[in-house]
Amino acid sequence: MGFLAAGIGAGIITLGAGIGIGLIGKGAVESIARQPEASGDIRGAMILTAAFIEGVALFAAVVTAILALGISV
Amino acid sequence: MKQVLRGILISILLLTLFHPAAIAQDNSSEAEEEPVIDVMGKIVDHDYLTLVGVKIYLPRILVVDGELYLYGSTKSAIASNDFQEVDGALVRSDGAPVSLDMSITSHLMYVWFGIILTLIFTIWAARRYKRGIGKSVEPQGVTQNIFEVLFLFVRDDIAKEYIPADKYKKYITYLFSVFMAIAFMNMFGLLPWGVSATADLTVTATLAGITFFITQFSGSKDHWRHVFMFPGVHPLIRIILTPVEILGLFTKPFALAIRLFANMLSGKILIVCILGLIFIFTNIFGPYVGVGSSVIWVSLTAALYILKAFIALLQAYIFTLLSAVFIGMAAEEHDHDHEHEKNVAVATDVTT
Repeated sequence: MGFLAAGIGAGIITLGAGIGIGLIGKGAVESIARQPEASGDIRGAMILTAAFIEGVALFAAVVTAILALGISV
Repeated sequence: MKQVLRGILISILLLTLFHPAAIAQDNSSEAEEEPVIDVMGKIVDHDYLTLVGVKIYLPRILVVDGELYLYGSTKSAIASNDFQEVDGALVRSDGAPVSLDMSITSHLMYVWFGIILTLIFTIWAARRYKRGIGKSVEPQGVTQNIFEVLFLFVRDDIAKEYIPADKYKKYITYLFSVFMAIAFMNMFGLLPWGVSATADLTVTATLAGITFFITQFSGSKDHWRHVFMFPGVHPLIRIILTPVEILGLFTKPFALAIRLFANMLSGKILIVCILGLIFIFTNIFGPYVGVGSSVIWVSLTAALYILKAFIALLQAYIFTLLSAVFIGMAAEEHDHDHEHEKNVAVATDVTT
């Protein structure tokens, strides 16, 4: 049961994080295309925001790891 | 000439990639009860250090019920009859569990290696700058140029950008040293026998803890006012927002620790898993398919290895960047009250 929950959870995490990072990439590429001279600043902001999304996704990944390993908290 | 050198480098790289398989075969011929590939053994902490194929056992420092025990290695601890091994963990002979394990482990050793390399690198550069090389004349040599590029990167792109201009100089030392130390620790994992110490939650938690304390101690008056009492917010909403803000103080460094840990660990696990596919294929389809498909898995591992080298630097950058952002958020002083009043005025305009 824990494995099932962890598997489904990991799938949903990947969905959410993928959509989030995809939207960031979309926004960044569009803005670089519109204003190529600001690409440095945009890239920095993109990495920063992607790191925040990654952080949230990793929180959930820790929960799934706890489920899969059967650690009772 | 360059072509020959490149060929030799690539073949060395490929040979080191084949290395885990060779170790696995040694194990299966020597000791039958050991698993063929110990996946978790590649990831978890050890009481020994492997340097160029030689195992060096590290000292154990154990505290049981207030008594201190010192041993040269786990074996001598067991040989002295004071301790016995139960489920892979040391327990005192009378059954009392170890209350505090201060043993020096392989991850700790690699943390020290990273710190020592950072110290050597920075002190060496500092001496050169003191002698005037780089100050009165241009920086000379490859190493000093690399140092200058990295230092300017941390100063201009990380510290100056996210920490207020009158305060950023204080934090450059911390940011640069943590950047170099994490980069070194991450890249030790790329060596054939190396271990990346940052794939251990205790190491990353310690690093994030340092950032946490620096953030709290550099917090300005405005920062604390925004944590406990929101200017321009209805008092009832403060009941919800204040606990969330206080919780946010702790989740930030927690995310910092988990991010670095998970990124480094996943790279390790992925490489071991893909190499393990060779053996899974051998078990299912026989040795010929296993050996034949290993070409795919080994080249995939080589690609992952390059990705890991990139991630090692990227994660060091992200850790430093986020540390700077958190410190900058705490250290910032601003006249928010006027802005809030302005916002309120605009809001009332809109409603009327």
